Amino acid sequence: MSDLNFDYALLIPEFILVGTAILIIMADLFRKELGLGRLVLPAIAALGTIAAGAASLAYIDDVDDFANVIAIDNYTTFFRVLFTVVLLVVVVSGYEYVERNIRHTGEFYALLLLSTVGAIYMAGARELLTAYISIELLSFSLYVAVSLAKTNPRSAEAGLKYVLLGGVASAMLLYGMSLIYGTAGSTQYSEIAAAFSGGTSEYGFALLLGLVLLIAGLGFKASAVPFHMWTPDAYEGAPLPITAYLSATSKAATFALLLRIFAGPLLPVIDQWQWMMATIAVMTMVGGNLIALQQTNIKRLLAYSSIGQVGYMLMAITTISDASASALLVHVAGYLITNLAVFSAVIAFHNRTGKEELDDFAGLAETNPYLAMVLTAGMFSLAGMPLLAGFVTKFILFQAAASGGYLWLATVAVIASTISLYYYLQVIRRMYLLEPARGESGRWRLSPAGYIATGTLTAGVFLVGIYAGPLFTVADRAARVLALS
Amino acid sequence: MSDGLSVELAHYLSVSGIIFGIGIAVALSKRNAIAVLMGIELMLNAVNLAFIAFARLGGNFEAAGGDPLAGHVFVVFVLTVAAAEAAVALALAVLVYRRRETVDLDRITLMRW
Repeated sequence: MSDLNFDYALLIPEFILVGTAILIIMADLFRKELGLGRLVLPAIAALGTIAAGAASLAYIDDVDDFANVIAIDNYTTFFRVLFTVVLLVVVVSGYEYVERNIRHTGEFYALLLLSTVGAIYMAGARELLTAYISIELLSFSLYVAVSLAKTNPRSAEAGLKYVLLGGVASAMLLYGMSLIYGTAGSTQYSEIAAAFSGGTSEYGFALLLGLVLLIAGLGFKASAVPFHMWTPDAYEGAPLPITAYLSATSKAATFALLLRIFAGPLLPVIDQWQWMMATIAVMTMVGGNLIALQQTNIKRLLAYSSIGQVGYMLMAITTISDASASALLVHVAGYLITNLAVFSAVIAFHNRTGKEELDDFAGLAETNPYLAMVLTAGMFSLAGMPLLAGFVTKFILFQAAASGGYLWLATVAVIASTISLYYYLQVIRRMYLLEPARGESGRWRLSPAGYIATGTLTAGVFLVGIYAGPLFTVADRAARVLALS
Repeated sequence: MSDGLSVELAHYLSVSGIIFGIGIAVALSKRNAIAVLMGIELMLNAVNLAFIAFARLGGNFEAAGGDPLAGHVFVVFVLTVAAAEAAVALALAVLVYRRRETVDLDRITLMRW
């Protein structure tokens, strides 16, 4: 057995996040006694997040695997930075919404911070038990966070559906893990890889069943079709900042875990899962984008749009290689920036109007041209228009799939992506071609935080679209850790 | 060992598989939120049984240099997480019940996909 002399300093970002969460809960408890203003809690959360992100940047290229439990390497650092940025965006663009719609704001920020810790460890996990605990840390925080808007009856309903379906999925995932543990004889990724590369014919059905259950469980967390049933409901019922968070961190963390597990321990048995992954990828791309066509609520539309995006990302897992791993990381980063730009615009819109139906966006170009521009840029980027982030990241993702011998899968993805343009254009058409509702034609402005969040993210969408070189380099360095050929 | 009377890995796994099947059938077919939760608990217990059986009786552990204790540790964690899950799910069920006076999933239909 190894001794316990690890480089614990590498875990400082998570210590900061957890410490901030505890501090926020305490500050919330004694709010009245201390006479804290309403901006104190989001300020603490934002500062803690910035500190954690800065601390993780200080440990680039440092490696420790903590006795094969959690690996802190460039791959983990990539997702650490990504998740802290997402958290910061959600806190900044969401604090007004939270102030108005959520009674216990301390719980909101504390849960977000804790779920980010779970998400980071999902990216870092090198062992099945650690992976499971991190998934549940993320999921449990989100079950509660989804139901935090106690004034909205949909919120509790969404939380209940999410927790029940999530429980079934976790149990399936666990049964899959137990079968993989039984066949490989270990829960550590490196040991599993060693066991499976020595031939798997004797395991036969047990291994296949284990893989099916594992993919089903993780597919649920990633909301892949046909395990996506919870997604639209949870998105619609959740408070808007949580919806943004669900579509960003929760998805990205699941893919961080998927990539590490399918590029590592399960790579030797690729023949047994590749066809499953390809099937799910096709169903998710086509299903998500087709069902999105008939949505009338912006949150549900974005839910199905994110399901479609998950399909493209699953394609990268299917054709797993060095190129597709780094393409997946680039696409995840681009998708997070774009999706958060759209969501922070929707949050700003909701702060002003309190509405979230597609028809409520009619004439937005007249009442707030800036917000309409942000939404248009975000929607076009999600659809994959040139000059925007979505085009570049999708292009290299599809290219990696095509050069990995899955040209037909890339073709399906291009077709699905074209379908998606239709429903994104439906939103844009409403904003630019329709008249605003009667009596609501006056101009209005965003709050300063709204301008900062939407402005920075839109700039990011254009920056990645025009000058993506640095992102490629970073993703390449992160993906090299996986040691794929 | 295999004289036809002793209990072996396959028997434990069969029982575990059957319990898991019952659990998933209950979880997916019952309309009451509490009954669904009971189905999930059954599934988790099947998982625990499988882990313990593999850790105790799995034949390939020494060959793979694996650590059989990992299975026992896993079970302890699954039990703990299952308790936490029940707490969260029941709290949410109470929240829904207060408002709607029902936890029947067919009648909790503010949102439809």
